[in-house]
Amino acid sequence: MSTQSSLLPAGFDALAPFVEYWAADTAAGRARCRDLSDEASRVAFYNAANELVPKALACLDKRPLDQLDESEQRLMRLVLSFAHVAMAVELQREEEPRHARYRPYMRITRAPADL
Amino acid sequence: MNTPVTGPGAPPGEEALALGTGPIPAGPYYRPEYFELEREAIFRRTWLNIGHVCELPEAGSFIVRQLDFASASILITRGKDGVVRAFHNVCTHRGTQLVAEQEGLKSTFTCPYHAWTFSNDGQLRAAPDFERFYVDKAQCSLPAVAVDVCAGLIFVNLDPSPKQGLREFLGPFVEQWETLPVGDATTFSEYIYEIDANWKLTYDNFQENYHLRFIHPRSGGGGAVGPDNPFGYPMDYKFYGEHRTQTIWTNPAPKLSPAQMVAFGKLVPALMQRGLMNHPYGRAYWAVFPNLFMIGTPTQPFVHYVMPISATRSRGVIRIYWVGDDMNASERYGREFSMAMARDVHSEDRVVIEAGQRGLNSGALQHIHLQQQEVLLRHLMYHVDAKIQAYKAEQAGGAA
Repeated sequence: MSTQSSLLPAGFDALAPFVEYWAADTAAGRARCRDLSDEASRVAFYNAANELVPKALACLDKRPLDQLDESEQRLMRLVLSFAHVAMAVELQREEEPRHARYRPYMRITRAPADL
Repeated sequence: MNTPVTGPGAPPGEEALALGTGPIPAGPYYRPEYFELEREAIFRRTWLNIGHVCELPEAGSFIVRQLDFASASILITRGKDGVVRAFHNVCTHRGTQLVAEQEGLKSTFTCPYHAWTFSNDGQLRAAPDFERFYVDKAQCSLPAVAVDVCAGLIFVNLDPSPKQGLREFLGPFVEQWETLPVGDATTFSEYIYEIDANWKLTYDNFQENYHLRFIHPRSGGGGAVGPDNPFGYPMDYKFYGEHRTQTIWTNPAPKLSPAQMVAFGKLVPALMQRGLMNHPYGRAYWAVFPNLFMIGTPTQPFVHYVMPISATRSRGVIRIYWVGDDMNASERYGREFSMAMARDVHSEDRVVIEAGQRGLNSGALQHIHLQQQEVLLRHLMYHVDAKIQAYKAEQAGGAA
């Protein structure tokens, strides 16, 4: 786990197991992670990240976005992915698989975070 | 004069009742022959939003937009004089599509076929061995398309001589829009969908709230409906010629999820810091004939247009316009969350709209019944048909 832990800033080790799948580069990629995920992986990520998101944002807000180092950029991408997965876990819940079949038709073509 | 309906769910006013109360014909929502008339009577001669000036940030910036209903590709440029111009994206030699890219930075465009080169103000600058042609370069400029901008939004009109300028067309909306953040937008979140549905059927879904509690009980139910307004009906409807507005109801006690509270708790302070959180049109919804609507909500200020492809296929474009690059991680998170939330709602809409089209396509229904709170749908259909009848009369007059 030590390699995984170094992926993220100190204090966010609990999120390291989720980097590989959830820290997608683009908004479209993050939406795709949600759409293709199963409930167990969504809930695991949500449970690990829910309380850490405000702390992560407070940490990341200390520096301009273009000065985030690689571990901070990964944390940023994870937090952005949480925005998508929270919709599934908190709101759609057991309806998520039904909606996930159709949501890819709404193609994300641009987001400020991608620029 | 407008006669606003007061309060959510209140009975229709005089202007609404003047549109009639009977069922409307179902044919215009699937019949190809009706769509052919719409194509000529409306889409080829009406101002249509297809972009924003933030996509043309400097001299030489260009974008290309496909207008399927006209089989047209439109090239929009910003010249070194700062002027935004639009052209058919077609070489005036033998019609080759001039620009293959969708956006970029170029002051000239060279046709891939015989290397005719045009400046971004449309003039033919150079053409190999041009002496052998029987025409002057001045007669070979790119075919211009009428273009104008309001509140940063770029509109084009395929009519070579539009009957109205954009500002006249938009009427009182101009003054309202020019106070909005969208005019200062520098970036946006965008998602696009294609749908097997008529453009009106698609657009109509976004003109009524009757469906909210059934289609969006989870994705949108926490704020859009409430015990005092179980259908989330708007506060009022108003009519401005072929355009219309509603005032979105404000839920006094929205039920937000924990993540929604965090996200909006990050986005709202950023908007306040930018001075964008409080403006007079925060609950406004403007519907611009035929296919555009815009929402003033500061946390989700989006523009949505539905372009027809055929009688039963359309493409929707949703853009949430933002002022300034993400200032920090919190604002970035709030913007991504706002888009993810809107996308869930619109995805649910898309599914049920297609189901509606599948039902209509058989011709089993002769008519569609509309209730009081679907009056904006009736208003759109009224003006669509009025344009078609006027077009038919014009054609008959021309043939006589």
